[in-house]
Amino acid sequence: MTTGLPVSTILLITGFCLSLIGLWGMLTQRNILRIIIGFAVIDTGLHIVMVATGYITGGTAPIIDSALSKADAARRAIDPIPSALVVTAIVIGLSVTAVMLSFAIRLYAAKKTLSIDAFTESKW
Amino acid sequence: MMRRVFALLIVVLFAVVFWRIVGGYQELQALRPLAEHYVVQGPIELGAPNIVTGILITYRGFDTLGEVAVLFMVAASVGLLLKEDSTTAESADQDRPRREAGEIVRTGTQVLLPMILTFGAYVIVNGHLSAGGGFQGGAIVASGVMLMLLARPGATLNVALLSVVESFAGVIYVFIGILGLVLAGGFLDARFLPRGQFGAFFSAGAIPLISALLGVKVGAELSVILDRFRS
Amino acid sequence: MVDLIGSVFILAGAVFLFSAGLGLLRMPDAYTRIQAGTKASTLGNMLVLIGLAFYHPNWTFQLILVVYFVLVTNPVSSHALSRAAWLIRTPMASTTMTDALIDEEERGAGEKEA
Repeated sequence: MTTGLPVSTILLITGFCLSLIGLWGMLTQRNILRIIIGFAVIDTGLHIVMVATGYITGGTAPIIDSALSKADAARRAIDPIPSALVVTAIVIGLSVTAVMLSFAIRLYAAKKTLSIDAFTESKW
Repeated sequence: MMRRVFALLIVVLFAVVFWRIVGGYQELQALRPLAEHYVVQGPIELGAPNIVTGILITYRGFDTLGEVAVLFMVAASVGLLLKEDSTTAESADQDRPRREAGEIVRTGTQVLLPMILTFGAYVIVNGHLSAGGGFQGGAIVASGVMLMLLARPGATLNVALLSVVESFAGVIYVFIGILGLVLAGGFLDARFLPRGQFGAFFSAGAIPLISALLGVKVGAELSVILDRFRS
Repeated sequence: MVDLIGSVFILAGAVFLFSAGLGLLRMPDAYTRIQAGTKASTLGNMLVLIGLAFYHPNWTFQLILVVYFVLVTNPVSSHALSRAAWLIRTPMASTTMTDALIDEEERGAGEKEA
């Protein structure tokens, strides 16, 4: 299956577009939950970019089974290091989202509204 | 209005930076030297077909230890932020009986829950042979627990037991690291158990054991976090 | 030739997924949004997976398992969401004519009191 552009370019563009969409959402929305969703979308986009930088032309996943023998591995497997780092990054992103959501719960309990325009005390 | 224009300007500037990065990117044709060492030496030294899990647990095992610490911290922070102190909790709230879940959710749970938990356990213990690993399987188990919490609102999760299980899993993980220091190459080296036959279930040194521990720890952790969000 | 059939299935699935996203944006209230999101995206998902089965015929059994799983979980979760939305009295669109769940609730409450 041949693609027009190289595969890593398609993945890079997708990841960066997702990050830009998340950034736009985070900057313009007023609802706290939508801001948190924007954060998560930025996270996902950048993970896609990180994995895409490890792609080798015509390569396949770095798992040795019937599709990839040990002798072929050095020639055809893609870079496994970004994949391993992204596994850690996904868990960290989940943790940050969990803490943000509990903050949102406390803010709602304090002011009974989910719009960040209600929290203006710290602005000077 | 000004705020929107400002946001649009920031997004456009970022888009320009990203466009320059994509334009100047050349796709790799061959593995970099470090990656080549991992891909070629990994199956020989560790005996694990899944190279990514091998990297996560042995070559970069210290990062995994840091991640375990981060998960601990998150469970503690969420517990601190969502703690009900005596001034805000009203006893009338807790006396009111919880509404039963809908019949569709209850029936669906009876079909789905065994499937999800079995799949989660399979992904955890199969980490070294095919795609999978401790973190992935632990998240699947926690999603099954969340389904159970949705279907039976009155069920209480034994949070004390889960916290003890989670702490023990973390302690045993560090203990295995120290065993690696004593019996094999260095801290968190997984080669002190026999390498076994390539591709068999009991192979690849201590990697399946560490995978199982990580899976148990992550599953218990996420279930505790979900339970805090519920009350 | 088989590749072409597979591509047509995947394209149809992509069209349905796009319409799910469009419906999520344009529908007036929470209930219609949940309905648009679930129905269209489940169908889109299934069509994309069936199209993939044409490209790799020896993956057919695993793909059927995945389709079954999506078919069981997606409607159950959206049912739980919309029921929860109804219970906290989320406002409905002004063009709604009937509310089938209110009659059932009143009947249930009447039976409990009597």
